[in-house]
Amino acid sequence: MIGVAAIIAAVGLTDSAKGDLKRKVTELGTNLVLVSAQSSVGRQNPTLPKDAADRATKVITVEKVAAIAQLANIVVTPYERAKSQFETVPIPVVAVDDQLPNVLEVPLVSGRWINAFDESATTRAAVIGIGLAREFNYLPGEMRTIELNGIRYGVVGILDKVELEPAFDNAVFIAFRAAEQDFVDNDIQPNKVYIRCKNGTETETAIALKTAVNLGGPQEVQTEIKAAALELAAQSDRQLQLIVVSMGLLAVIVGGLGIANVMSISVIQRSAEIGIRRALGHSRAIIGAQFMLESLVVGFLGGVMGVLLGIGAIFTGVKISGWVFVLASWLPPAGIVLAMLISVLAGVYPSTRAARLEPLETLRLG
Amino acid sequence: MSAEAVMELANVSRTYGQGEAKVFALRNVSLRVLSGEFVSIVGPSGSGKSTMLGLLGCLDVPTSGTITVCGKEITALGDAERTAVRGRTIGFVFQQFHLIPHLDAAGNVETALLYRGFKPAERRDRALAALQQVGLLPRADHRPVQLSGGEQQRVALARALVTEPRILLGDEPTGALDTKNAAMVMELFANLRSPERAVILVTHDPGVAAAADRKISMLDGEIVADERKAVVL
Repeated sequence: MIGVAAIIAAVGLTDSAKGDLKRKVTELGTNLVLVSAQSSVGRQNPTLPKDAADRATKVITVEKVAAIAQLANIVVTPYERAKSQFETVPIPVVAVDDQLPNVLEVPLVSGRWINAFDESATTRAAVIGIGLAREFNYLPGEMRTIELNGIRYGVVGILDKVELEPAFDNAVFIAFRAAEQDFVDNDIQPNKVYIRCKNGTETETAIALKTAVNLGGPQEVQTEIKAAALELAAQSDRQLQLIVVSMGLLAVIVGGLGIANVMSISVIQRSAEIGIRRALGHSRAIIGAQFMLESLVVGFLGGVMGVLLGIGAIFTGVKISGWVFVLASWLPPAGIVLAMLISVLAGVYPSTRAARLEPLETLRLG
Repeated sequence: MSAEAVMELANVSRTYGQGEAKVFALRNVSLRVLSGEFVSIVGPSGSGKSTMLGLLGCLDVPTSGTITVCGKEITALGDAERTAVRGRTIGFVFQQFHLIPHLDAAGNVETALLYRGFKPAERRDRALAALQQVGLLPRADHRPVQLSGGEQQRVALARALVTEPRILLGDEPTGALDTKNAAMVMELFANLRSPERAVILVTHDPGVAAAADRKISMLDGEIVADERKAVVL
């Protein structure tokens, strides 16, 4: 029962997670490509060329581009008095242009994004991710300031959940010019560029971008199709599924051994009954078939209960995770059939033993 | 008109072990039981009564010699065929009753009718008729644990009779009963006599042996006496 429940739950939960993933990928689109600087030996904090975004637009299949630069060693606090509380938890600070939400196709929960005015007038405007807003207890539309290394920035907007870049949910976004003014000595070079390309051209765009952005320069460039990355994550889920299914199979086999053990004990306990039935004219085949049938019924009942338990586990998991309930139609009958198959195998030894019992051994004559 | 022989043993021996360890449980025994006879087989412990019972009941095969049941020689038959002959021809009553604990009285009697092609309703009717014959119809739905020793043995007797066997074989049928119940069971045995059926009881109880028309005495694996009661005209 437990083995069958484990197999049902493992396959069902993974299918539900995949179903949820498919939904996410469909919602967010598969045509998002990420260009980033490749780190090499002896080189810390690799960057892309300053005009990497412009270079990317030269690729004919590219539709939208947004560059970012992840900044380091900036302490973010919601207000002066909370410095000691938040200092130990690094919050990513990202320099951005005005295109990022458009390219990521993520709306703002409230307020506005960094715009051309922020860039030109070097305003200290910041947008925060929705996770950070919740952590800092922001109310929708509330005007607040935050401090970045003690420098006050006004929060002008809150970015909604970014499925394809979960780290952005807890990040602070500021303009390139502000970052250069307050935190970086030299000109900032982007280290990532997000690109939306024409649908169906992700692979060739990714290949073309490497050349277009690098242009034979010293920086090495790598590209990543974001949907493919999520699929890869799903692969590891499938490997986890395989592990859990294997453990479930092991549990089913152990259950089968348990059935064999219990049935063997039953044969011993009912040896007098077997003896009298043999004396009454019941053949060895009939006795063997009876015990095999009992084993099969135990397997069937265990399989049904295992399926119900597994479905219950899927329901619970889906409810907690917010996934869509997915259960392949072949899975419940397959679980029951597997349990019955194992029980038939388990019943071979005890039913053979029962059939071989001689009446004279059990009836205590004289 | 002479009665038909329902059971014949011809020069039957049953040995266990080999060489120097060979033991003769039965040694060159010949016996003929006719339809309608009431036979008791008596002897002390170790006389070969149990071995004789096993061979008469087709539960065992002899090491040498032949056994014929209702004209059919069973010695050379395979286990399945021998089982079928046993089921058709012989009804058993054991000292320890050997009722199936999770079945009620009617269910225990019905067990003897399974796999014989009877429909469930017909099986039930025959079982109830057999219980009626032994005076236990009102207890048909009682399980063995709810019955006294004497009642359990009567259920066992009903089970033995329901298949209308040619031979009724009893192994110390009153051995586990008190005097009153033993007398009741023996009265039933006497009442169940018929020209079409032989009753063979293996016992060491002199009272049971005395109820039979023919007393076969055994000692050390051999028949030492075969006495018939005189018929008073």
